[in-house]
Amino acid sequence: MLEVRGISVAYGALSAVRNLSMTVADGAIVSLIGSNGAGKTTTMKAIIGLKAVSSGEIYLDGERVEGVPASQRVGRGIALSPEGRRVFPQMSVLDNLLVGAYSQRDAAQQRKTLDQIYGYFPRLVERRSQMAGSLSGGEQQMVAIGRALMARPRLLLLDEPSLGLAPIIVDEIARIIVEINRDIGMSIILVEQNAKLALNLCNEAFVLETGAVALSGKGKELLASDYVRRAYLGI
Amino acid sequence: MSMDFILAQTVVNGLMVGMIYVLMAIGFTMVFGIMRIVNFAHGEFYMIGAFLFAILYGSNGMPFAVSVLLAIGATALLGLLMERVVFRRFRGNELNGMIASVGVALILQNSALLLWGSSARTVPPVVSGVLSVGGIVFPWSRLVVIIGAIVAVVSLNLLIGHTRIGRAMRAVAQDSEIAQVQGIRVDVIFPAAFVLGVSLAAFAGVLMAPVLSVSPFIGLAPTLKAFVIVVIGGLGSVPGAVVGGLLIGLIESFAGTFVSASLSEILQFLVVIGVVLLRPQGLLGRKEREA
Ligand SMILES: Nc1ncnc2c1ncn2[C@@H]1O[C@H](COP(=O)(O)OP(=O)(O)OP(=O)(O)O)[C@@H](O)[C@H]1O
Ligand SMILES: [Mg+2]
Repeated sequence: MLEVRGISVAYGALSAVRNLSMTVADGAIVSLIGSNGAGKTTTMKAIIGLKAVSSGEIYLDGERVEGVPASQRVGRGIALSPEGRRVFPQMSVLDNLLVGAYSQRDAAQQRKTLDQIYGYFPRLVERRSQMAGSLSGGEQQMVAIGRALMARPRLLLLDEPSLGLAPIIVDEIARIIVEINRDIGMSIILVEQNAKLALNLCNEAFVLETGAVALSGKGKELLASDYVRRAYLGI
Repeated sequence: MSMDFILAQTVVNGLMVGMIYVLMAIGFTMVFGIMRIVNFAHGEFYMIGAFLFAILYGSNGMPFAVSVLLAIGATALLGLLMERVVFRRFRGNELNGMIASVGVALILQNSALLLWGSSARTVPPVVSGVLSVGGIVFPWSRLVVIIGAIVAVVSLNLLIGHTRIGRAMRAVAQDSEIAQVQGIRVDVIFPAAFVLGVSLAAFAGVLMAPVLSVSPFIGLAPTLKAFVIVVIGGLGSVPGAVVGGLLIGLIESFAGTFVSASLSEILQFLVVIGVVLLRPQGLLGRKEREA
């Protein structure tokens, strides 16, 4: 699905990601964990095209996409639920979702996807005409994920979907991530500070430290690794 | 003249001028909302729309509908050119963008002066006669302006509120980075919004041309009014622009008829100062979101 080969990304003089490689198999959930400032969000931005890479390559279905602008990558099958949710605050929930379908012009298909999303997040049905900015954090997260799903991506990027949410909502979101992956076979990259959650959900995980991959492996293996337990699970 | 008559005319004049201000303010606030540019050249597009209509319809006797479409279309093209050459470089740079827009205003105004001279032109009325309601008469020439402006505002509202491109414009105004990852090309949305704003100004000019006389200097007042109205109504708020525009139009008309034009200016700015002091986000504006 996706192959990232040795990318580096910098903000001016500050290098945020260095020589990072990772692959995401079709239908896999891949987690990216690491502490604050490790470069997780920057990696997501490079994959979706919001941040240019200074070197390295990104292959989507075997085709290089580093030069493709962000607005066209969604048409290639990638969608992002960004860090901090970033819903359009002064637009209704429904309008937020419809903007997510901007690249999908088939109205019948749009309605079908919308129904699917309302199925995952029934709470959004009753909130559909409410301004997204006035929703609770958990509800905004549902809008952000729903908005990304409206593009019918084959690869979904989720940047800290659990950030600032109550444990019960985190569980709900986690359950839905698994469901989406299972039902549609959608590949997912999950960025999380909540390492336990991320490692439990994923097939494959990458641990990022100061912009580089420090460790990678199966989620279950990393959960058992002493290093990860000490550094990220606080055990 | 009876009091009823005077009152009715004052209301109609206030609504007419007010609706023109509404059109101007909506375009002005749209360009600001999306491009973050305070466009002090906005009224020059009104002036050019009015001039082109005066030339096509008034001097050359072209059919009304053709004149309207050509006047708006040509002004929109000029707007597109200005966006390409000037405004897109200042997108998001509020101070420099504002200064550049003053430059553009001077260039457009002086070009009009060179091309068309300084003398005022009048345009023959598009409609004549009066509407008589319970003994009070309203001139159709003014009602048409009000109706035309209402149609434009309603259409614009439908466009922004209920179409794919309208949603895209709102998305770009609220978070342009995230709009991009939805597949929205901001490099298309920016000029589209600018041209839409300019077209509204041109349409306002076309509507007013038969009621006012047209000269290269008529653009400044509507620019300042649009600015004032946007401050009163709330930056980026279309309902705010409607309320603010009608308020300013009616104040102007009533104070002008019953007291004096200078009192009207004083009153308007008192309203502005009052709003800025008591409700800085404008009557219908939202508070700046916390970062
Ligand atoms: N817009 C920016 N301008 C300058 N530096 C930035 C910018 N965004 C991120 N950085 C820097 O790049 C590095 C990586 O940041 P990034 O946001 O990718 O980290 P992260 O792993 O997502 O962290 P967090 O868990 O806190 O979200 C950090 O050192 C950060 O300070
Ligand atoms: Mg981050």
